[in-house]
Amino acid sequence: MTQSPTASIRPGRSARAGRLGATGLGFALPVSLFLLVAFDVPVLMMFGWALTSAKGMFAPFIEFFTRPVYLKVILNTLRIAAIATVACAVLGYVLAYWLRSLSGTARLVALTLVVLPFWVSILVRSYAWIVVLGNNGVVNRGLMDLGLASEPVAFLYNDLGVVIGTTNLLLPFLVLPLYAAMIRIDGRILQAAETLGASRWTIFRRVFFPLTVPALAAGMVLVFILTLGFYVTPAILGGGRVPMVANMLDMLINRLPRWELASAISIILLILTVLLHLLYVRLSRQAGN
Amino acid sequence: MIFTKRQLLKNSAGLVALSALGLRAGPSRAAAGEFRMIEAGGTSGESIEKGYIVPFTEQTGTRVLRESPSGLGKLRALVESGDSSVPLLEVSSPELYQAVALDLVEPIDWDVVNPDPMFDEAKHEYGFGYQYYSTVMAWGEGERAPKDWAEFFDPEALSGKRTLPDYAAYILPMAALAAGSSIENIYPIDLDKAFESLERIKDSVSVWWQAGAQPPQLLKDKEVQYAAGWSGRVAGAPGMEFTYQQGLLDLAYFVVPKGVDPELKKAAMGLLHEMSVAKNQAVAAEVVSYTGPSPDLEKLLPQDRIGEFPTTTANKNVQMFNDGQWWFENADEVEQRWQEFKLTL
Repeated sequence: MTQSPTASIRPGRSARAGRLGATGLGFALPVSLFLLVAFDVPVLMMFGWALTSAKGMFAPFIEFFTRPVYLKVILNTLRIAAIATVACAVLGYVLAYWLRSLSGTARLVALTLVVLPFWVSILVRSYAWIVVLGNNGVVNRGLMDLGLASEPVAFLYNDLGVVIGTTNLLLPFLVLPLYAAMIRIDGRILQAAETLGASRWTIFRRVFFPLTVPALAAGMVLVFILTLGFYVTPAILGGGRVPMVANMLDMLINRLPRWELASAISIILLILTVLLHLLYVRLSRQAGN
Repeated sequence: MIFTKRQLLKNSAGLVALSALGLRAGPSRAAAGEFRMIEAGGTSGESIEKGYIVPFTEQTGTRVLRESPSGLGKLRALVESGDSSVPLLEVSSPELYQAVALDLVEPIDWDVVNPDPMFDEAKHEYGFGYQYYSTVMAWGEGERAPKDWAEFFDPEALSGKRTLPDYAAYILPMAALAAGSSIENIYPIDLDKAFESLERIKDSVSVWWQAGAQPPQLLKDKEVQYAAGWSGRVAGAPGMEFTYQQGLLDLAYFVVPKGVDPELKKAAMGLLHEMSVAKNQAVAAEVVSYTGPSPDLEKLLPQDRIGEFPTTTANKNVQMFNDGQWWFENADEVEQRWQEFKLTL
């Protein structure tokens, strides 16, 4: 930004600088511009492929809706995402609740253990599951040595494998905000309920749980959105048997290469994600209040 | 400094946007000092390095930067973004025909390459066939060997889990063979028959693999007992056995992306020449047991491991040769049916 030398003596300057700082707009400008040029413009150009297809303006969209295979893959992706979300919610809620009950060092250690997997690459973690859950893996050998299974249990290379891998990766995204919401709950509200004669179960059901629902729902939407775009986990733990949309896009982009169709599918996926994101924003606002 | 920035830009999708805004980088000034090539990666990439790049750089002083993996998507991205810095890119035989049809490649300058004697099918107008590889049946040590693909595809005759390629072109010919097609008349492939075979076996298939390293690993981990895998990965690997009987022989090509810097293309033709030299091919085959296109190669290969190579007379005669042209012409129908089949798993 260029400014005339006289600008420094104009009285309005400091006020303006103050306003910039207050709204944060001035600070956000460089990164916004960068995102606009390096991310938004390429995304829009990518949309252009679908709309300027040689076969006609909406040809890739028509192909998407008339050939059932693409829709089926998206539905399958939604199904896997829903299962993974529920798994995350159940496990995550119990974990966050337990974290809340800890104090001091124990809480710090437990929280660190929750965050720790973030520091390990997705690829490494996905392969680690092969070592743990494979036919010849630790769990299956244990089960067979104990006589609990006569032949290896198929944990991997199916829906279950993908759900296990996905849940493991995304659990922190749900646990951390949920835990934050749980410790914000005023202990006196719970005590008040207790003085009024409510049982522990009633307190949980009618006071504690409703207060955590917005954070839980926001976390679930977040996990759902993230699962929609998962690529590495289905590729490794799905054994090529669990078709998901990111893997289908990879094929359309890199192998065929049918960019027009890939672009149309991406647009549809993006619209879906934006809608879910709006839901997330609404829910997390509620959680914040 | 400027160079690394350019490298970065070219590797990022951002270049598409930048070039559209008129900020495209000028023609390469590195001239023939070095050039980039995109290849399949893995041990195959190492064999290119040792067999061909090392002697090429010694003779010409030109350095070659390898990048991987390759694919039609990358080829299209290079051409459409106007990137002229990659004179060589590896494709499979069906991809070669598709690349020609999509107008993404330039003819090979065979006069400049001036190759040593090569098998005919390796000298394509638009592609230099540099590496033969096969898709073969393999099984874990101690398992009963399958007689043929018919038995391989029959879960009752041969019990045990399988891993098959997640690539239609590398498994449908075998599936058709298993359903009664003959090796001489495998093309045109009877798709109905081929998918019938796949339907019969699908419940015994644990993994549909995408990376060549998967089949040997799955065999070693006893995750599967039988595999259809790439010869260079299973031949001679510990803990497993394989056969070239009824294998699917194929040829990988190098192509020249359209609009490449002419100086770089000229330099790259020199590297292709090195790839036609039997002595260099023998060095590459030591790294991974895929073979080059020289008819004189067989006697230079290590004789104690001669059974591991796909193009020795003994092995070539018992295999079928993949027909890239047919795959290209039927790509749409095959891909559609393949995806629909995958959804029923």
